[in-house]
Amino acid sequence: MIKIEHLSKNFGDLVVLKGINIEIHNGEVISIIGPSGTGKSTFLRCINLLETPSSGVIKINGENILSPKTKVNDLRQKMGMVFQNFNLFEHLTVLENLTIGPIKLLGKKKEEAQNKGRELLQMVGLAAKENSYPEELSGGQKQRVAIARCLSMEPEIILFDEPTSSLDPTMVSEVLGVIRRLAQEGMTMVIVTHEMSFARDVSSRIIYMDDGIIYEEGTPEEIFDHPKKDKTRTFIQRIRNFQYKIENKDYDFYGMNNAITTFCEKHFFKAQQIQSILLVVEESLQLYFDKDNIIQRNEIIKSGGGINLSIDYSEKDGQIVVSFVTTNDLPSIIKGAESSDGISMAIISGMTESVEEDEIDGRLRLIMIMHLI
Amino acid sequence: MEVKIENTNAETMVKMIGRLDSMNSVEVEKAVAPVMESDMKNVIIDCSEFDYISSSGLRIFLTMLKEAKKKGGKLSIRNMKAEIKSVFDITGFTPLFIFE
Repeated sequence: MIKIEHLSKNFGDLVVLKGINIEIHNGEVISIIGPSGTGKSTFLRCINLLETPSSGVIKINGENILSPKTKVNDLRQKMGMVFQNFNLFEHLTVLENLTIGPIKLLGKKKEEAQNKGRELLQMVGLAAKENSYPEELSGGQKQRVAIARCLSMEPEIILFDEPTSSLDPTMVSEVLGVIRRLAQEGMTMVIVTHEMSFARDVSSRIIYMDDGIIYEEGTPEEIFDHPKKDKTRTFIQRIRNFQYKIENKDYDFYGMNNAITTFCEKHFFKAQQIQSILLVVEESLQLYFDKDNIIQRNEIIKSGGGINLSIDYSEKDGQIVVSFVTTNDLPSIIKGAESSDGISMAIISGMTESVEEDEIDGRLRLIMIMHLI
Repeated sequence: MEVKIENTNAETMVKMIGRLDSMNSVEVEKAVAPVMESDMKNVIIDCSEFDYISSSGLRIFLTMLKEAKKKGGKLSIRNMKAEIKSVFDITGFTPLFIFE
């Protein structure tokens, strides 16, 4: 369907894409992942000529779209694009947003376009909003309208450029649900995303981009479970791992909790699971900064380089490992808990499967294992 | 975190709203101090809008209960969400309190 050869893009001296080669087949769902600033969105924008490639060939059904003869508007009708920031027409109603393209570009009659538009709004769960204006909608609703508008042009392929990154975490799943449904219906899609669980579930192929090239590609299992190359491995490890440094007793408790919550929401943890993790972290820190010895403990922790909190999540078996690493000048946290009123340790034990302590590279490590049910 | 206290002839209603954690437990302790200083004849803690509790919060609940018992009063918990109640369960606090 689409064959891309040696695609490069420079912005002045900055080389963003360095010779990309890829074939996209009918019915494929390809997710493009990778660190920020590695050319993922530029690549997508080159495919439908929102950016003009510096060199290379893009063939759609055998036709080189970089040829001057190519009618760019015809190409864009075959290829829908959903943007991070929705790009809806603010002065038009939801239904008008869906009918303007088919009427003006596809030559459809108003009634036909409206009927199709209503059908699509039904599909994305927004039939009741046809007369609303975009400003009256939530971010998730706007993005669903943007997807419906894209579908109203009957594209052969849809390109999604980080469709959920400007959404409040609570609205991400409603948008991903619609994309998931399109995938089930066989729509060809290329999705630039940071939602790794989603990418894993929905994609037939994952492309890991780094430094302007396709660094590694494969099935979701190959990329997420058995990445072959170093940078891919590091990236996959990092997205499943949350780290936070607690310098001393005056650490930013709410900032830390917000960061943990954001990490957990990215992995679609349920509210109660997030609460459990927050509780385990809070109670552990209660034990570290033991109220009865807080001044002394604080000094040891501060001069020992703080406490490194790490939360690792394994999608495969739903296991969460919460660990704290600090100086071994501190006494054992587990033993210390025995002389406390026991409430913090009772909460930790109740929320986790195991609580252990060991020494790693001369530092004291407290490890707790939890499972998402 | 907000604590609202309403006194009627028959009861004292303490409404806990929000999340009670180690950072705000001192404030909450101060907020419930007038209740602890009262006769605590019939204290009800309304938890319908209470979203999180850690050990610091449990200690406040326990202190209030002890104080009520000492005075021959009664303290009960109303409308507690299941996820909060589970923290009472795992710490063994549940049998100590009256849940309505």
